[in-house]
Amino acid sequence: MHEQAQLRLRKEEIEKLGAEAFVVVAMDLHRTTVFKEKNILLKSFKNPFSADDSLVSATALSDPAGTASAIYGVSRKCMRWGSWVENHPTWFVIDRAGTLTYAAQPLFNTPTSYIGDIDRLFEELRKASK
Amino acid sequence: MKALILFLALCGWTQESPSPLEKYRALQHPATPENFDQGWEERVALEFEIVNGADLRSLRAALRDKDAFVRAMGARALGILADKTSADVLAGLAKADPEVAVRIRAVESLAFLKMNPEAVEAAKKDSNLAVRWTAERVAGQFQKETDFALQAREAYAAGIPRESMGAAKVGRPAPDFTARRTDGTTFKLSEVLGKKPVAIYFAAYDG
Repeated sequence: MHEQAQLRLRKEEIEKLGAEAFVVVAMDLHRTTVFKEKNILLKSFKNPFSADDSLVSATALSDPAGTASAIYGVSRKCMRWGSWVENHPTWFVIDRAGTLTYAAQPLFNTPTSYIGDIDRLFEELRKASK
Repeated sequence: MKALILFLALCGWTQESPSPLEKYRALQHPATPENFDQGWEERVALEFEIVNGADLRSLRAALRDKDAFVRAMGARALGILADKTSADVLAGLAKADPEVAVRIRAVESLAFLKMNPEAVEAAKKDSNLAVRWTAERVAGQFQKETDFALQAREAYAAGIPRESMGAAKVGRPAPDFTARRTDGTTFKLSEVLGKKPVAIYFAAYDG
């Protein structure tokens, strides 16, 4: 959710690039809608986003069987981090010609690593927009 | 020698091939944390086979299986398949199964079934954060008229060819996929490809 929160802060940059952002949730439509509309996680403790009602500006997409996730090679359907995890979280960038130009898996290894993830994403989006 | 070959052939002809659930039980890379990046294609393929196979009798028996991942798979499939007769067993698993994966799947499936809401409410106080998390997020399904299980069944029924798994490669054309926007409309990636640059994030789960 931090990745989405950070992306939302830079929504105008996405628009200036003429780009569009999507987030795929390998779950049913209800849970995807909750993910899009409610900030349940970051409201639960003190942080820069705890006052926000929603953190997701990207178009949220429900992928209940995990088909899109499997096509993109990120489906896992496995235990990890003490929970059931559908996907290996991954960013992709596709350029104006429809070519996949970037794939990166966040490491979540520092409290602010998501900021660097989004910086790299924008570097790639700028290249993809040319 | 001919007799031996004949014997082996007869054995082969008479043995039934293992069911998808049996293959799931025998996975080389079951859904344990150390297998996170291994064997996912087989786990995905079998989940499709199990849901689309709709063998309710075997799935109901799977809820009592010794293997936690088989119980979890049984719980998931029965919710998606809208097997209301399993609701009470699922409620029992949601409350008392020793394994987190099973409690999560049971809670999800009760929400798909829209039955035993008290078990989902109780799961909001589970000792495990992931189970509480799941219960908090699925609880709203009980108030919705939409048949989310039907939507899931339709998604599984569309299937996924094995050769499509992992087809996305940097430097190559982005493969198309279909998903559903939160307003319920269908999204096809190919509708935006070639028109604008696109960023896609695949989330681990709904958080």
